[in-house]
Amino acid sequence: MLFMSKQKKVESQLADYNQKVSDCVSGFHDAIRNYCETSDRKKLEEDFQKVYRAESLADDIRRAVEVMMYTKSIFPESRGDILGMLEAMDKVPNQCEATLRMLLTHHLEIPKILRPGIIHLANVCHKAVEALLEASGRLFQDFTTATVAVGKVDQLESEADEIEAALTDQIFSGQQDTQSGWEKILTRDLVRYLGAVSDRAENAGDRIRIIVAKRSI
Amino acid sequence: MWPFAPLGGGLFLGWALGANDASNVFGTAVASRIITFRKACLLCSCAVIMGAIFQGQAGIDTYGKFMSGHQIEVLLITSLSAAVTVTLMTVLRLPISTSQAMVGAMVGVGLSMGSLPWTLLRKIILCWLITPVGAMLIAVAVYLILSVFLRHFPMSLLTRDKILWGGLLIIGIYGSYALGANNVANATGIFSGKIEGITNTQLAWLGGISIAGGVLTYSRRVIYAVGAGIMPLDSFTALVAVSSMSITIHIFAVIGVPVSTSQGIVGAILGIGLIRGGRSIHYRKLRSIGLGWLLTPTIALVLAAAGYAITRGFMNVIPIGYENTWQGPM
Repeated sequence: MLFMSKQKKVESQLADYNQKVSDCVSGFHDAIRNYCETSDRKKLEEDFQKVYRAESLADDIRRAVEVMMYTKSIFPESRGDILGMLEAMDKVPNQCEATLRMLLTHHLEIPKILRPGIIHLANVCHKAVEALLEASGRLFQDFTTATVAVGKVDQLESEADEIEAALTDQIFSGQQDTQSGWEKILTRDLVRYLGAVSDRAENAGDRIRIIVAKRSI
Repeated sequence: MWPFAPLGGGLFLGWALGANDASNVFGTAVASRIITFRKACLLCSCAVIMGAIFQGQAGIDTYGKFMSGHQIEVLLITSLSAAVTVTLMTVLRLPISTSQAMVGAMVGVGLSMGSLPWTLLRKIILCWLITPVGAMLIAVAVYLILSVFLRHFPMSLLTRDKILWGGLLIIGIYGSYALGANNVANATGIFSGKIEGITNTQLAWLGGISIAGGVLTYSRRVIYAVGAGIMPLDSFTALVAVSSMSITIHIFAVIGVPVSTSQGIVGAILGIGLIRGGRSIHYRKLRSIGLGWLLTPTIALVLAAAGYAITRGFMNVIPIGYENTWQGPM
């Protein structure tokens, strides 16, 4: 009973962390879509603040989980694995925040021709992170099934890579000449930053895959 | 000679036994980081002492009867030779059987005296071969049964950890208790009724404490050799290994044959390695352990024979004519 309560506390904190990461990524997705649709910088600023707060809260929970992991009799092997997974997962909200910060501080105007592609990329990244969160959640229900969700993350990451490549090609192909050379480079960087969200999700998914593989019989 | 001095040989053997055999019950759990070395040592020591006190006296009585016809100097030579051999193997990080060392020493003395029960000796050597093979087969069966259980019950990562942690802890404590109960006789049992003023209960206490002393002070070397030297183990395979070793030892105990926990655990780990394809087995370490099993009785035999020759020939401690009364506990 004593062990179960400690275990439940850890599992509950990890579920809270997943929820905050989900809030952060949803906010990020909304921010990109809103900015592409309205080019409203004030709204972008507000959305950024929401994402920033969610990311900070996720960080706070992660730190609390880390402390709890060392005080709540978790196996050293699992402790290392879960902490490694959290570290990898933490890069996802960080990347979301960094992408929005870049959009905000570089005063980037996204050309109309690129907007549907960028919204699509943000959408795929959002789905990839949701699949990652599903995999992370399954570790604490039926851990053997977590790899199914990780497979989904991989699939979405590949899709994101293709969209990123298509967008980069579109930026420099001459289809859009509304941007100067350095603006094109900044837009390409924005696309890279955006695509990196799914890369981070894939990296965290790989950690989950290793956790399951280590315990496979 | 100071009346309690011969007991020093038994206490030394107890210490060496604890240093080498703790690895058999907690080595896999420590190396797979399920329990810390310090906690494992404390648990093992307490359980060993309890096993020695509560269930070790029967073995001490048996040893006392077996060795009733022997002079205390012969017993001292036997236990010292076995203790030196076990310590040497512990320094070399090799998990070996204390019983092998004891049998080797007794054979050494027996050969020097010119009397040896060859039939019984053949039976014991056969058991040394059967134990690792039996443990290997049992490990394969336990692995398959436990894996079916873990596969068919969906559970959280942390629940799985708790199940394996609890299993390893219970089996480790049980194994340590059995280690104390079975092996205290090896350490101090041979002195039963030989030293005036020391009862069998006191011998059980002293033997248990000496084994615990070995666990606490010098068991690290072999613990890691068993836990990680033969093949890397995770919590699941660690549980399979210790369970298989315990089942094997228990089966042999029911049949009435005392066998080595070291041979049991090494056989069990090997069985797990083979069921996983054999790629992760460190064959070089396995060769060293096999060599250790051959060398242990040989070294003990040579040491005991030499010890007997020295004490009889040069110091004239053992009277001529005593050799006709030798009757090993085999």
